[in-house]
Amino acid sequence: MTQFGAPAFAADLARALAARETNRVDIPLIQPAEPFLDMAGEDLRRRIFLTESETGESLCLRPEFTIPVCRAHIAEGVATPRRYAYLGEVFRQRRDGSSEFFQAGVEDLGEPDEARADARAVSDARALAAEFAPGAALTITLGDQSVFEAVVAGLGLPAGWQKRLIHAFGNEQALRAMIARLASPDSSAAPDGAVAAFLAAGDAAGLEAHIESVMEATGYSTHASRSPAEITARLMDKQALAATRLSAASLAALKSFLALDVTLDRAAAALSSFARDAGLDIAAAQARFEARLSALAARGEDLATMRWRAAFGRPLDYYTGLVFEVAVGEAGLVLAGGGRYDRLMALLGAREPIPAVGFSLWLDRIETVRAGR
Amino acid sequence: MTLTIALPSKGRMKEDATAVFERAGLPVSAIGNDRSYRGRIEGVDGVEVAFLSASEIARELGAGAVDFGVTGEDLVRESLPRADERVEIAARLGFGHADVVVAVPDIWKDVDTMADLGDVAADFRARHGRRLTIATKYWRLTQNFFSTRHGIQLYRIVESLGATEGAPASGAADIIVDITSTGSTLTANHLRILSDGVILRSEACLVRARKPAHGDDPRIEALMAAVRAVC
Repeated sequence: MTQFGAPAFAADLARALAARETNRVDIPLIQPAEPFLDMAGEDLRRRIFLTESETGESLCLRPEFTIPVCRAHIAEGVATPRRYAYLGEVFRQRRDGSSEFFQAGVEDLGEPDEARADARAVSDARALAAEFAPGAALTITLGDQSVFEAVVAGLGLPAGWQKRLIHAFGNEQALRAMIARLASPDSSAAPDGAVAAFLAAGDAAGLEAHIESVMEATGYSTHASRSPAEITARLMDKQALAATRLSAASLAALKSFLALDVTLDRAAAALSSFARDAGLDIAAAQARFEARLSALAARGEDLATMRWRAAFGRPLDYYTGLVFEVAVGEAGLVLAGGGRYDRLMALLGAREPIPAVGFSLWLDRIETVRAGR
Repeated sequence: MTLTIALPSKGRMKEDATAVFERAGLPVSAIGNDRSYRGRIEGVDGVEVAFLSASEIARELGAGAVDFGVTGEDLVRESLPRADERVEIAARLGFGHADVVVAVPDIWKDVDTMADLGDVAADFRARHGRRLTIATKYWRLTQNFFSTRHGIQLYRIVESLGATEGAPASGAADIIVDITSTGSTLTANHLRILSDGVILRSEACLVRARKPAHGDDPRIEALMAAVRAVC
């Protein structure tokens, strides 16, 4: 049955959120569309409900809460740390399910102790899902992009490759394709004569001057977004990369890392034995990873009931570290999802870096689980 | 049931389309004067011809308001979500060739493939304080190609309804997605097609709206066979 209006348990959930030291925030239903499209990319356009104001501004029905909560926080200049809670309807075109549904969640902004904030987000999401979908067998999965970043850095891969791999992280198909491509010869065409000559001579300054003079001659330079220096630097990088392949050892290390999938009580040991076997120094990332595990254990979470999957991430460039999901059943219906998005606040215009972690609960799915009980 | 065939209302497309029908033994004549927007096929009853703009034809096919239309595949795939479920390309007519392509400023010597463009797009915000922008009128084709085919999400589309190839030089956008037949306009504007940047090789097509009533109408198959025989 399609359901309109908040589910019956919404009032109890709002009380449960308030009890977890949060400030309830109300966000207007109608939002400027730009920040969502800018953060999530153009693909979001066909999944949100767009309209235009009389003055031509793009507006949309609230598709999620994280971005508007962060924008409101920045606009009001409130002191951190601060934990916001929200509960309300969101509007997104989905293949399955209604296009209007309820979400609730927490955004924890500015907590300097990241391990503690991460652990709290996971544990709040787990506890709320357990409370409002009682009896459901929950699967909790964690991932961490910063560990992957440390691994690719530790493998000593060229900077260009590190960027490509990190960019593909979270999209397993794209990541596999990328790794396969880095392991096989580069097929891109050689640049034209003049450029090739500068590259062959290793003459970066000459190449940059050449590009600049072509830009001026073609009248492109006035509005050029990418400078001669940027183009030159990438040409030099590409030339260096064309001669290299992902070594068999690096390839094996990447593959064995991405295959790691263990319960959290064994995760620290699995990561450190991986690092030892691969001969990698990723101590700083390991320390952060272990601090989070300790913080989870200190909150009384049972680490044996949660998993760490090394390949689990979200392919959005503002997610920086922890990501997690609370799911139920064989099909893995996701009841709650969250993660750390330290880069988002800066992208949205915060003047100083503000660490941020949060999660949201899918109330329609929780309702489905309650109904099926 | 009257069958409606939508043909382009002006220019080369109109001439070429009526020539194909003529060769297929289906001569089209305008009703009233030769600028009329309605026509018929001489010697065939129960068939009506509507002269419409090429983009309207794509829309009308999607809505099932006409049975057949002659229009570019680019317009069909751009105007209609899940085009293949709603229409059938009955014949490729061999004129109106145009490729929908991704073109970048030629001076971006480091960008040869979509993978290169993906690298540039991933870094763009950090370097320039905004996303990479693409000028195009082909929203749907661009999104499918960039997001689904190449996994590139971080860009913004700037709608362009004309002279798209001028957008990079004027600063309106960084790169473009546009149609080209010979590539000479792109070259003249110092733009270059990426080596794997052809989104669609389009040409004029005879397109059928998938309507249930067509199933037991022998005229449908006959008309498609007649056109296919001369293409």
